[in-house]
Amino acid sequence: MVSVRYVGSRALQTVFLLWFMLTFLFFFFRLMPGSYLDIMMYRGADPESIAVFKENWGLNDPLYVQYGRYLVNFLGFDAGLSVQYREPVWDLVRRRMFNTFILVAPAITLSYVVGGVIGGLIGSRRDSRAGEHGLGALIFVGSLPSFFVGILLIAMFSMWAGLFPTSGMVSPEVTRTYRDAVWWRPYLTGDFAMHYTLPFVAIVFRYLYFPSLIIRTSFIDVTRQEFNEFYRVAGLTPRARLRHQLKHASLPLITLYPLSMTWALGGMVLIETVFNWPGIGQMLVQAVLSRDYPVIQFVFFIIAAFVILSNFVVDLVYGVVDPRISADD
Amino acid sequence: MTYRSAATGPLETYRRNVRRGLALVLSDRTTTTYLAIICGAFVLALVGPWIAPYEYNQTVYVDGRIHRLATPSLAHPLGTTWEGYDVLSRLLYGARPSVLTGVLGGGLIISVGLLVGVTAGWYGGNVDAALMRMTDVFYGVPLIPFAIVLVALLNIGFYTSIAVIGLLLWRNSARVLRAQVLQLKARPYVKAARATGAGNTRIVVRHVLPNIAPMAIMFFALGVGHSILIEASLSFLGIADPFVPSWGVMVRNAYNSGTMSRAWWWALPPGILIATLVVSFCMLGRKYGSMAGNEGNGTTY
Repeated sequence: MVSVRYVGSRALQTVFLLWFMLTFLFFFFRLMPGSYLDIMMYRGADPESIAVFKENWGLNDPLYVQYGRYLVNFLGFDAGLSVQYREPVWDLVRRRMFNTFILVAPAITLSYVVGGVIGGLIGSRRDSRAGEHGLGALIFVGSLPSFFVGILLIAMFSMWAGLFPTSGMVSPEVTRTYRDAVWWRPYLTGDFAMHYTLPFVAIVFRYLYFPSLIIRTSFIDVTRQEFNEFYRVAGLTPRARLRHQLKHASLPLITLYPLSMTWALGGMVLIETVFNWPGIGQMLVQAVLSRDYPVIQFVFFIIAAFVILSNFVVDLVYGVVDPRISADD
Repeated sequence: MTYRSAATGPLETYRRNVRRGLALVLSDRTTTTYLAIICGAFVLALVGPWIAPYEYNQTVYVDGRIHRLATPSLAHPLGTTWEGYDVLSRLLYGARPSVLTGVLGGGLIISVGLLVGVTAGWYGGNVDAALMRMTDVFYGVPLIPFAIVLVALLNIGFYTSIAVIGLLLWRNSARVLRAQVLQLKARPYVKAARATGAGNTRIVVRHVLPNIAPMAIMFFALGVGHSILIEASLSFLGIADPFVPSWGVMVRNAYNSGTMSRAWWWALPPGILIATLVVSFCMLGRKYGSMAGNEGNGTTY
């Protein structure tokens, strides 16, 4: 079992990393060329309004006071105001985080299920032509640019076949119909499902290769181990042996799953832009293009926090799976 | 007679290895195909702007009106864009920045990867620990978001953005090369070389580097592919310099014009070229790696 000390020290490290990231981002964006003032006021604003602005945004205080205030506000879910929308960053990002999550989490999960099966299949046929071609096809898919996968899907299924809408998450009519309903009501419509299909397929397809390759390598390693010989001698059928082998080979998948999620989260920037999906990736690009520093800072922190937290989870799972790993390592 | 001198010079050893590597690549039909595609891309990058029938920004007029979204014909084998530019000419101009990004980015990736990986593996101890922690930190960086923020906010140009890509992506190669060096360090011939009094530099140059060369070449090829991929992605997002005529910028213009359903000849060719080039580099790298005996080490990256 995982020792309390191990969990404790990893948790402390995680909290430290989160704080470090927050601090780094704060100072990084303060030191960026072009101050908040340049971005938010037009050039040639009169000194009086500049003074009012500075006072309102607390820019007169020394940097460490601003930093302290930022930390305190942050703990109360206040990440400042968006420059382009003049709305609280947290309110803007919350719904978009949800949109990203409902797209990326099921898609990556499915890619692990499908990828596990494919990896096992080409791993068990590694010496045949089918296994070799399967591996080649996987690497081919893994090297495709994800925006191009998206464009191809749009071109094929929505423009030529006309089966799915080209972009967005729900049609404007649906948004209008459910304007006064609960916020999650539009997600239950068939219109949403139609919009959901193509980006979902794109992610599953694009991220399939990683679990497949992992499972394949791990499967080949497992079949070289001695217990196979034992099972064979003991008279297990090839089918029963395959089940044992797959069980052993799937261990790395558990630990790599969160990692895959973080990669996909980074790659969502592209998928969301292609499909015009209102998630945090698309928001990041828009914020960067309009220099909305508070939003960039916060979205980037969210993505980084996800990476840090999933590493924490991976460490814990490793601890359970392989008790030899301890906090001292 | 010449046997001794031919076998001993370090230059000659490297030349022989290059010849062997090339023979290995040419011995397989798939790798030969990828190599041919890559050579084709290099030729396009060199001569593309010279053989392009139109200028990069030359609007084509027919009867005094802009020739918008013309379907492919003899005059315009790949049609024209909304602005009346010849698509084929733009493709030919776009080869150079894309290939240049790949080669420079891949070169930077493998240089940093070799430097970090070999230093960490060879010296071990605290040097190793420090360098590997640094590599771990780079592993945690969400690639595209980080590149977007850096490239866009620092307002940096074409070459600096390649540097950003290269300085983010060396992590895989460093980690795997280090493991390779660790294995080599325990080999009898390396120990023998050390026992005869050979210095660090000599052993690394004469015994370690030639042995990790196949893996380094694999990571170089993968690095080229990934650099092109990231550059194209940044261009597509509108982050990279829009005045560099790369294929990624072309896909973006076509996509943003909203005419994709009518003008497939505008968006698809640059996309297909990017995909083909990236896939060729990645497949060649991996296939070469596994043929040179790296199976299981680099195939999962």
